[in-house]
Amino acid sequence: MPSHLQLLPLCQLSVGATARICVIKGDDGFAQRLREMGFGEAALVTKLSGRTTSLCQVNGTRIALNHDAAMAILVEALPAGAR
Amino acid sequence: MILPPHITSTGKKRLAPADRTPVYAMVGNPNCGKTTLFNALTGLRQKVGNYPGVTVEKKIGETYSQHGKPIKIIDLPGAYSLAARSPDEAVLRDVLFGRRDDTPQPDRVICVVDASNLERNLYLVHQILDLGRPLIVVLNMMDLAAGAGLRVDAKKLEEALGVVVIPCEAVHGRGLVELKLAMSRVDLPLARHRWDVPAPIAPAVAELQASLTDADGRPPLIARAEALLLLTDLDSVRVAGSKPLSARTVAVLSAWRERWAGDGTDWSGTLIRSRYDAINLLCGDVLIRTRDQGPSRSDRIDAVLVHSVWGWLFFGLIMAALFFSIFSLAEYPMNWIDTHMAALGGWVKGAMPAGDLRDLLTDGVIGGVGGIVVFLPQILILFFFVGLLESTGYMARAAFLMDRPMSKVGLHGKSFIPLLGSYACAIPGIMATRTIENAKDRLVTILVAPLMSCSARLPVYLLMIATLLPSEAVPATTKVGIMLLMYALGTVGAFGFAWLFKRTLFKSSPPLMIMELPPYQPPRLKEIVRQMFERGWLFLKNAGTIILGISIVLWFLTTYPKLSDPAATPDAQIAHSFAGQAGHLLEPVIKPLGFDWRIGIGLVTSFAAREVFVSSMGVIFGVQDAGDSTTPVRDALRAARWPSGALLFTPLVCLTLMVYYVFAMQCMSTVAVVKRETNSWRWPLFQIAYMTGTAWVVCFIIFQAGRALGY
Repeated sequence: MPSHLQLLPLCQLSVGATARICVIKGDDGFAQRLREMGFGEAALVTKLSGRTTSLCQVNGTRIALNHDAAMAILVEALPAGAR
Repeated sequence: MILPPHITSTGKKRLAPADRTPVYAMVGNPNCGKTTLFNALTGLRQKVGNYPGVTVEKKIGETYSQHGKPIKIIDLPGAYSLAARSPDEAVLRDVLFGRRDDTPQPDRVICVVDASNLERNLYLVHQILDLGRPLIVVLNMMDLAAGAGLRVDAKKLEEALGVVVIPCEAVHGRGLVELKLAMSRVDLPLARHRWDVPAPIAPAVAELQASLTDADGRPPLIARAEALLLLTDLDSVRVAGSKPLSARTVAVLSAWRERWAGDGTDWSGTLIRSRYDAINLLCGDVLIRTRDQGPSRSDRIDAVLVHSVWGWLFFGLIMAALFFSIFSLAEYPMNWIDTHMAALGGWVKGAMPAGDLRDLLTDGVIGGVGGIVVFLPQILILFFFVGLLESTGYMARAAFLMDRPMSKVGLHGKSFIPLLGSYACAIPGIMATRTIENAKDRLVTILVAPLMSCSARLPVYLLMIATLLPSEAVPATTKVGIMLLMYALGTVGAFGFAWLFKRTLFKSSPPLMIMELPPYQPPRLKEIVRQMFERGWLFLKNAGTIILGISIVLWFLTTYPKLSDPAATPDAQIAHSFAGQAGHLLEPVIKPLGFDWRIGIGLVTSFAAREVFVSSMGVIFGVQDAGDSTTPVRDALRAARWPSGALLFTPLVCLTLMVYYVFAMQCMSTVAVVKRETNSWRWPLFQIAYMTGTAWVVCFIIFQAGRALGY
């Protein structure tokens, strides 16, 4: 992972912002399922709402993640209008 | 129909393909419109049941080819991947791999794909292609895709995959004729799409494939697909009824896993990426974005319905409407059923000569089964609401909103749906836990679900409140307040025990929830009503048969041994019966709670179903024809006394008894379902012990403290 990237957990991404998924932590089964649902590394994710439970959009699908799941996903926020 | 030899099973029991009805499996992601399509194809020619050993719904339907030949379709549970993470997905995997003896291995597969979310849906299709079965891809929801600014070129997808691809809008019935024509084809093409297994895992796949073919009798292509899955599916879920792997395959598998664990490479991630690379390449030509995707209709609705204020307000309104319907609207059909059951009993009494057989039919069979049938309206209303919330897409939003409160006790939003269902009856509630992936979370939800006050407790609460506050002058709000207090107590109990279990017996890292929120859709009433009756019928079949058996046993226990004096009163007879003797035996245990042996009989008999308590009280206290009103039973209870002359049903005892029913595990049907669900007697027995133990301790504290305070 390049050191200049500013990674933050998905739960801390502000509402309306778009980010690129960089690292998925958490247990193997969880990471496997996320990737199978198209929520893998390099996918673009837009946060729609939520503080404790996050509501995100990936590839046109709305996906809800609880706080611990959103903590396990590290993203790189993209500048506004990048998508 | 002649199928290529390499895709037909070598199993001895299978008939020659030409002689039997072809079997199609219908698979797809959750929310891809698979069930709508299945219903449109099969109409009413469906059989709904359960896969033995698991409470996963098994649906098999029949349709006809254009030549009038029957075609069987198995509607498999929705899944994102063959790498199962829940019992639902495990059933899909096992049926496709031919691991279940109770279900025929499908000859052909129909993959339903949500065209508005093509890449993700093609992931499962890509795994299914590995099976080497003739395949039809149905591009469903083409209208939604067009609305979202996507154009999916079915022809190009068909050319790229080499299988039949049919654009479809199942909700509007478009594309069904084309699908039926394709299903009628004898020469369905096999996939042309070539995808190479990443080179580093190829030797492992080859060795495991050889073992699965030789030692487990799998056809070669199925063996290759299964080998790929076994090597990379780290968190495999096993369910009852699935054939175990041979010792040789298990040895090969563990040897390769050990080798890979040493070098630290993530083969599962590599394989998923490799599949997505292939899918993206496919979609490059097939998927055209006609315009930029702005906020969709669902996005705009979600802005309100998952809003931190408006979302909760709407959720509150939905819950209020649900409870109002269950407890107010259901009253009319319930009274109707009650009256007709009583009339049926009366008719049998009049038509048959007096004797044990007549009593068995009226008191055992009609009384017992009537006891469960009377709750059917409430259960159907609940199923209707659940169907409505699911079909519109709101249920996932409710789970999303409830995730935060649920997380306080260590569970996540998905556990909310089973707990909500348990307000009507714990059985469908427990059956709804099958979508929870984590086994520990699932078990905790099953263990606490019966603490939610189900509709069978309602008659007990009503009787006790009527005994406690008989006066018409007492405002209805006080009675409703006591009732709500009991519901709140059960709910707090369920959450409290979930919190306790998650910190002790089922300690695990916090659950990670990932849940798709499907697009909002107008409710499809026909489908909801059909599903409501299907689930209602399953409930009746499952619970009714158990209740019938138990009712007959209970009738026997309250009738025999008979007193020699034929003129003996019913209460003298019941005191002499096996149940009466059991009540006397039980009295020392329940006396500290303020209960006597007669209440003890009620506790024993209502183990069949809680509402049996009311009819037992009627019989024990010598009330004739208690019928549909609790008034005579109430008066008899208010007059009941201890041998010392003290009142038996003091307000404190009424309250204690209600609290006992809030906590105690008094339901045979739930015990049977939990046994089936968890595949052992360990958890239902634990559930009986902890719930009834809690009931005793709480009631002891309430009664003794109340007495010390002079009540």
